[in-house]
Amino acid sequence: MRVLVVEDSSRLQRTLGTALRKSGYAVDLAGDGDEALWLAESHDYDVIIMDIMLPKRDGLAVLGQLRAHGKTTHVLLLTARDTVPDRVRGLRAGADDYLVKPFALEELLARVDSLCRRAYGTKQAVITVSDLEIDTLGRHVRRCHKTVDLTAREYLLLEYLARRLGQVVTRSEIEEHIYDGQVDPMSNVVDSAICSLRKKLGEYGEAPLIHTRRGLGYVLDEVSATAATS
Amino acid sequence: MISIRRQLTRELIGAFFILLGGALAALYFAARDEIIEQFDDALRAKALAISSLTMPHDGEIRLDASDQFFRSFSKQRPLDFYEIWSPDNQVLARSESLSEANLSLPDKSLTRPRIWNLQLPDNRPGRALALRFSPEEGEHQELFPNLQLTLMVASDSEPLDEALQELLGIGCIAGVLLAGATGWLVSRVLKRGLQPLKDLADQAARINADSLTSRFPAAGLPAELQPIAGRLNELLARLEISFERERRFSADVAHELRTPLAELRTLMECALKWPEAREPATDREVLAIAAQMQAMVASLLALVRGEEQQLVAHLETVDLTKLTEDCWRPFAGRAVERTLMIIWEVATVQTLADPALLRSILGNLFENAVDYASAGGEIRIRIEGDARGVKLRVRNSTENLSMEDVAKMFDRFWRKEEARSGGKHFGLGLSLAKMFSQAMGWSLNAELDEQRRLEFVLSGPVSQPSAG
Repeated sequence: MRVLVVEDSSRLQRTLGTALRKSGYAVDLAGDGDEALWLAESHDYDVIIMDIMLPKRDGLAVLGQLRAHGKTTHVLLLTARDTVPDRVRGLRAGADDYLVKPFALEELLARVDSLCRRAYGTKQAVITVSDLEIDTLGRHVRRCHKTVDLTAREYLLLEYLARRLGQVVTRSEIEEHIYDGQVDPMSNVVDSAICSLRKKLGEYGEAPLIHTRRGLGYVLDEVSATAATS
Repeated sequence: MISIRRQLTRELIGAFFILLGGALAALYFAARDEIIEQFDDALRAKALAISSLTMPHDGEIRLDASDQFFRSFSKQRPLDFYEIWSPDNQVLARSESLSEANLSLPDKSLTRPRIWNLQLPDNRPGRALALRFSPEEGEHQELFPNLQLTLMVASDSEPLDEALQELLGIGCIAGVLLAGATGWLVSRVLKRGLQPLKDLADQAARINADSLTSRFPAAGLPAELQPIAGRLNELLARLEISFERERRFSADVAHELRTPLAELRTLMECALKWPEAREPATDREVLAIAAQMQAMVASLLALVRGEEQQLVAHLETVDLTKLTEDCWRPFAGRAVERTLMIIWEVATVQTLADPALLRSILGNLFENAVDYASAGGEIRIRIEGDARGVKLRVRNSTENLSMEDVAKMFDRFWRKEEARSGGKHFGLGLSLAKMFSQAMGWSLNAELDEQRRLEFVLSGPVSQPSAG
């Protein structure tokens, strides 16, 4: 899942970036409204965490612009403004959630997770595919009741594929949602990650769940595709 | 508690009662005198009639009158009485109504007619008239030359007393009715007249800290209350501004502390949740946040103390030029980093100031100039002085300031949005600088010229050279 953090306090921006990356998100950071608008319009983020009082262009203006341009990315407003009119104004401007500073980090992570789930139209925290169980809250993966150890990136990739269950996911979509701006788009990180993930999921000899659709991308599904399976 | 309405009611009713009592008493006595006068006139008429009907006849004195005339003097209906005496006090004539009794004349030497109250022979109250007269001319008048007879006429005065009693009763009833009506009327008139005052008081009683936006409608008020409503409205407007400022200040304090608190909390939660990711820089960050919050609290305390008039400036002669150069030194390096051109136009000037406060003001002005001057721009520091005073001007080029920004620049927590980054400026420095300058009797103002250059002008007194 890819998250954009827009915060003018450089300390808070750095700490939030660290916390989200540690929680398995791909994170981009912005320090002002113009940069936030540019990033949000040029990438397909799952969630945007945004302060309201920002240099150059305030958070509500950025939000208004995004909604006006048809962007439906879930936005969580993270601000020091705590009055009811402020919250109402923020939510009416198109925000999906509102959190007041100072906040508990766990609460922020839970809200971001909730917004991610909503982004893929599900409210269930556990995704089951055949004998594979993915606990999105605890970030645990089990296959045939045995724990599968995954790196943060591998987990992120599996969760993204699971949220798009049965749908073909292109490489660029994976890059967009799993990798932040620091990754070279020309590299084969996606293929490497898929390969690594398949290896870990199949190490107990179970049937393959990740299938390749040649020329299109990958799909996570219980039923094996007859053609073009690698 | 003194009530204007009760006091006015009491005093007006009291005054009206005195006037009413006086008027009724005067009316009663005038009417009484008139009735008595009429009674006396009747007595005089009877006496005149008797005296004119009295004449000598055959060596005697006789009254020649009709029975009709003497009806009230008769024994059967004894309402009036008379008796005529000769100069030697011999009874010459008397009315039948006297029967066996006699009228008694209290003063025998009757020099002029006299009227008095008396008790009639039948013990009823009466009123009498006595006079001396000469009988009318008759056939044998020569027998009584210069005859002076004494006549006393008395009448029953019971009808007179009854009339006077009735008059007094009517007066008392009228007085009571008028007094009641007056009390009711005065109360009603005062209630109606003082209603605008009551409305004003009721409206004032409803005002509290949450309704300071309400105003008294001066247009519908009587002329006497309009100045009061006007002053109250002015007071409310000042209170509203003051409350709003305090409310905004409290909200600003809370708001400004939220971000460093969020930084602190997130930093520590991250360090606890992922201890392996904890960097040595984390501790330095925590220290920096604590220092930032401490600086903010110190600035807030300085502001509060300044507002509570606890700030006392110790004025002394200061070399403004030297102090300005000293204060600039810490910012020179940062100015070079930002490739700012510094222009000095400095005259040697002595002034009267508190050196500590002046250092704080200059430090703030220089820090703002160095941080907010457009990159590669210029800062001009100018000191000028004459007999009227000294002026220190700090001018820097800016990029996006407007006249509205300059008007708000000295408000607490005001910052141009771009200034938020970094957590270095709280928006309290200029408020403090202005307060410090006022504490020294100086003034600090900001101006924006047509070339969008912001200039702070600090004005103070010139130090008078000591004699000798």
